[in-house]
This record gives sequence, structure tokens and C-alpha cells, in this order.
Amino acid sequence: MPVHTRPSTYDLLRAHGVDRRSFLKFCTATAAALGLEPALVPQVVAAMENKPRLPVIWLHGLECTCCSESFIRSSHLIVADIVLNMISLDYDDTLMAAAGHQAEENRKRIMKEYPGNYILAVEGNAPTKDGGVYCTVAGETFLNILQETAAGAKAVIAWGSCASNGCVQAARPNPTGARPVHELISHKAIINVPVCPPIAEVMTGVITYLLTFDKLPQLDRFGRPSMFYGQRIHDKCYRRSFFDAGQFVEQRIHDKCYRRSFFDAGQFVEQWDDDGARKGWCLYKMGCRGPMTYNSCSTFKWNEGVSFPIGSGHPCIGCSEENFWDNGPFYQRLSSVPVPGIESTPDRVGKVLATITAVGAGAHLVSYAARKASGKNSGGGDAAAVQDSKE
Amino acid sequence: MATSLRTLRFDPGEIRYGRRYVWEFPIRLSHWLTVAAVIMLFWTGLYISWPQLAPSGEPWQHFVMGYVRMIHFISGYVLLISFLIRSYWFWVGNNYARSGFPFVWKASWWADLKAQALKYLKLHRGNVHLGHNAMGGLAYTIFVIGLGWFMILTGLALYSESNPGGFWSTLVGWLIPLFGGSMQLRMWHHTVAWSFVVFAVIHIYVVMFDSGHYNNGLISSIVSGFKFWEEGDLDNDRWVS
Ligand code: HEM
Ligand code: HEM
Repeated sequence: MPVHTRPSTYDLLRAHGVDRRSFLKFCTATAAALGLEPALVPQVVAAMENKPRLPVIWLHGLECTCCSESFIRSSHLIVADIVLNMISLDYDDTLMAAAGHQAEENRKRIMKEYPGNYILAVEGNAPTKDGGVYCTVAGETFLNILQETAAGAKAVIAWGSCASNGCVQAARPNPTGARPVHELISHKAIINVPVCPPIAEVMTGVITYLLTFDKLPQLDRFGRPSMFYGQRIHDKCYRRSFFDAGQFVEQRIHDKCYRRSFFDAGQFVEQWDDDGARKGWCLYKMGCRGPMTYNSCSTFKWNEGVSFPIGSGHPCIGCSEENFWDNGPFYQRLSSVPVPGIESTPDRVGKVLATITAVGAGAHLVSYAARKASGKNSGGGDAAAVQDSKE
Repeated sequence: MATSLRTLRFDPGEIRYGRRYVWEFPIRLSHWLTVAAVIMLFWTGLYISWPQLAPSGEPWQHFVMGYVRMIHFISGYVLLISFLIRSYWFWVGNNYARSGFPFVWKASWWADLKAQALKYLKLHRGNVHLGHNAMGGLAYTIFVIGLGWFMILTGLALYSESNPGGFWSTLVGWLIPLFGGSMQLRMWHHTVAWSFVVFAVIHIYVVMFDSGHYNNGLISSIVSGFKFWEEGDLDNDRWVS
């Protein structure tokens, strides 16, 4: 066993009875999920064998804990085990052994012992109204705890939609003023891992990446890791990409949806229990958000790979997208026009405007005809017009 | 807008009317490419939003939605090309090609705008221009240029979603977060599509009214490029230059 001041992930796994074979399998699977080329697998293995564990503080704000629930239900039996061992999870409201003052001391200790070197993982977000009183932990507002803990963190991972973009508690009218992590913390590297809940494999992947490469993964425009929320693979086979160096795994749900061929063919479910629904046709007209949603659920699925919404016959609600709660009724294809007082579908707004215009043109024509009949109109190209132009 | 042939008066020895080449070929080409593209885009866009034809059988036998989207995208490219032609000609064409520009820093432009608005409301004829009058020019600028580029850019951003990281994604993909996500971007692309119906109703009414009432061959000008003028008309275009 190599000598360390702190034990490595591998040391701990061995101590927990994980054999080397399972360990290597895990490394390969995770490297694959990250879209790394096979040649990089040894790098993952080496990192796990040699690097000391990452100290992690895992905070829970306004949320439902579905992120943690998802995390411990990953499809690879030992993944949760491994990852829980890979990081030294010294503080996690729901998983730690310590309680009360002891727990809070733990958090303070990590912040002191590893300044600039610990990872802050946040599940949930912070209400900001009325001084943040709507979420308090150990007598302190979560807002304070979050900002205090983030100050010395190496990087911040925002788990789930709550932390990444607000989710249900930030939906209009947002009574507690809940705001996502990236709006409350500045000057820190933040990785957003939205989805409600995030997929265990994705969570594992993000942590492994941080441990292995000691830097942030490539992020998209919403601060999400591109390998899980980013690109599209044209042949729609996500496994092929494992072997294409530099090709990342993920794409829009829509583009890798197994119902995509029905979309292109033009075969859509019109009603929940119609023939198309029974035949598994495309759920686009039932309000499916697949065409607008970037996520990896259609490949990894949830709960040990059991299923994902579309697979169970339900349209995607776009839970990894910003403000998905405010994007109109889930079963309406387009959100309403968000102009106060209008809030109607785009088509209704458009038809009303077009009608008003047509009525206006009609009125102009009628008034023209009336004037012409009464002989008041100045007519075309007459002296008056020429004079007008010389005014 | 030129003057009426019906009421032209002839004074011997005096040239009081004439014909002038106003809309050069690229302008006319761009006009009709735009018309064709917008018609296709609007109907295919509405279809994409709410597909109707539901073929039975196996999906591999059909590609209905796929073809409709393909027509939308091809027409989108046609519109883009048409706009590029028009923008280019704005710089290199004759003065009439620039006459629609809102010269907001010129007092004469505001005066023309006011005169034109009053005249339309009183159903009088505005100052006669061979190029665009200030109001017509403003309408083209807002509706067609402004909202047209809006549609092109949002359309390309939606289009870029099928190839994240690709050319269009790099160029216009930033519009997606700007609008708060793909869902909102789509909603605006769809809503603003209707502005073209609003514009088309006004535009077609106005040109038909003008052409019919003043008998000045206005409509044929966007086909042939020639407009007719009467003495004094040319003075009204002076503010342009
Ligand atoms: C005047 C011009 C245009 C009009 C009126 C128009 C109209 C529409 C409409 C109504 C939709 C349906 C939106 C929805 O309900 O989801 C749509 C979708 C779309 N449009 Fe346009 N559009 C125009 C220009 C363009 C251009 C220039 C492009 C660029 C190539 C473009 C690309 C798209 C794309 C990619 C979609 C989404 C298609 C899909 O998700 O299957 N559009 N358009
Ligand atoms: C059949 C239908 C149409 C007819 C007969 C028509 C006719 C005309 C005429 C006569 C002009 C010249 C007006 C002037 O001298 O000031 C014009 C200009 C213009 N029209 Fe149309 N138009 C039609 C449809 C459309 C549509 C659908 C659009 C756009 C969506 C459009 C966009 C424009 C623009 C942008 C100009 C300004 C030309 C320039 O400076 O480039 N037109 N049209």
C-alpha cells in the first residue's frame, strides 16, 4: 500500500472488501460514461489508486432529497459504494453519523483543515426572502451556511434542478425567493448537474472526473458538463462514442429518443389512450419536452437502469431545463406568451393580432369608399396632391 | 410611389412626367425570394408545431414530419440568402435601395414620417416618392428587417440544436440561454412568426390600394423595376440623399 497522509480511494475500497476486478470494471464503466477514450482508463485507475480522497461537504437546502435517493440507486451495484468511499463525505445532513453540534463542528473542521481543497456539493437551493429565514440549519440560515462554506471550496457542484436552476420552489411566484446556487455564489467554479433527480451515473461521473483530472469538465452554456448534457451522436448509438476519442456521449433527449422514428414519420399520440399511444408513437403533441431538453436519462435511465418517463409512456417534462416549472402546462406543447395580461398560446395571440390588422385594413377601405361616394376624396395625382408635395 | 397616369396633364414644351428604373434586379430578386420563403416557412412552421397527417403503418415507411421540417429548413436558408442579397445591395445599389432606412438623425426624415402618417389617416395621398417614404421604410425596417432577422437567428439557433458544437451552434447558439432555454426560444420563434401575417396584410393592402387608386403601376414596379413620376415627385426623394 502506497504511503499517504490520507488513504486513497482504492485503499478504502480494498478495506471495504471490493476486489480489484470489480474496481477495474468500475473504472472502465465510468471512463466510458465520461466519453473518455479507452487509453485514458489507466489514468482513472491511477488517480483512484494514488490520489488522496476528496474531502466533500454535502449541503442540503430547500429540496426533497431525491438527488441523494437517486445517487444510492445507481445501476452499477458497487458504484454508490465506491463513490461514497471515494469522497470523504464528512458532512452530509442526511447521511452522516454525527449529529447536532458535533456535525456542525465537522463542517467547520473540514473548512479549516482543507481550505481551497474541499468540494462543496449542494443539494437544494437557498430562499433569500426575509433574510433567508425559510430554510435554516442548526439555527443558521441556509443562505449564510452556503456562502460561508463556498468561500473556501475548490469547486461547487450544484446537484439537481433545485441547486442548478431553482426547480419547483423557485417557480412563479416564488414566495420564498429561492434562488439557484450560481446566483448566490460568485467567483467560484460551479458545475450544474440539473435533472430531477440527477442520474446516479452522471453524479459518479462528475466526481470521478474531478478526482482524475483535477479540473472541471467542459461545461455547456448553462454550466452543465457537456459530456452528459452536450452533443449529439448522429448514429444515435451512444455506445459507439465510447470509442471515438473526443466524442462526448450525450445529446438532446429527442435526438436519441427511441420514439424518434415516429416523430420523423409523423406518427403522433393524440390522446392518452388512443391507438398511437398503444403503439408507442411519438409524444410530441402530448407536450413532450424531449425536443428542447438536454439530458442523459434516455441512455442511462433511473433506478438501476429501469426506465425513464418516455419509456413509461409519459412525455418528458424537461426537468433538466431552466425554469421548467414555468414553461407552461406540462401537457401543452408550447408555453404561453409570458407577457402580463396576455398569457395565451402563441397561436391565439397571433390570430388576434392578424384579425385586428385585417379589420383595420377593412375599416380603411370602407372609409375610403364612403369618402369617394361623397366626393370628398382628393383622388389620384390631382393638383391637390402635387401641391401637397410642394408644401 | 409615383403619380397617376390617369390625370397627367401635358403642357407643350415641358417635361412633366417620366419613367425611372428604381428597383434594381437584386432588390426584386430578394423581394420575391422573401415572399416565397416566408409563405413556405409560415405554413411548414405551423405544421411542425401541430402536425396533422398521421400515416398508419410502420415508421420506416414514412418521413412526413421529416420532409416538412426539411422544407422549413431549406426555405430558411433561402430567406437567409435573400436577406444577405438585400443587405449587400443596401450598400452597393442605387439610392432607392437605401431609401427605406430610418434616418432618425435627420429632421427631414421625421417631417416626412409625420406628413405621411397624417396623410394616411386623412386618407390623403402622402408625398409622392420614388423610393420608400419614411413610414413605409420604417415598416419594412421593423417588420421585415428587424423581425426577419429575429426569425432567421432564432430559427438558426433552433436548427443548431441538432448539431451542438457545430457551426450554427457556435455562431448563434448563445441565443438559447439568452431566451431562458430552448422552450422559450421556440415559443418566441412561433409567436413572432405571426408578425409576418400582420405585415403581409398591411403591405399587400397598401400596395394594392395605392396601385388601384392612383393607377400608378406600383405593383408592376416590383416586377419590372420601373416607376413613373410626375413633376415634383423627384423633389420628395431629396431627403434621402
Ligand atoms: C419568417 C420566417 C419563419 C417563420 C414564419 C417560421 C415559423 C416557424 C414556426 C411557426 C415554427 C414552429 C415552432 C413550434 O411551435 O415549435 C418553426 C420551427 C422551427 N423553425 Fe422556423 N420560421 C421561420 C424562419 C426560420 C429560419 C430562417 C430557420 C432556420 C433554418 C428556422 C428554423 C426552424 C426550426 C429549426 C424549427 C424547429 C423545428 C423542429 O423542432 O422540428 N425557421 N418555425
Ligand atoms: C403578393 C404579394 C406582394 C406584393 C404584390 C408586393 C409588392 C410590393 C411592392 C409593389 C413593393 C414596392 C413598394 C414601394 O415602392 O414602396 C414591395 C416592397 C417590399 N415588399 Fe412586397 N409585396 C408582396 C408581398 C410581400 C411579402 C409577403 C413580404 C415579406 C414578408 C414583402 C416584403 C417587402 C419588402 C421588404 C419591400 C421593400 C423592398 C426593399 O426595399 O427591399 N412583400 N412589395
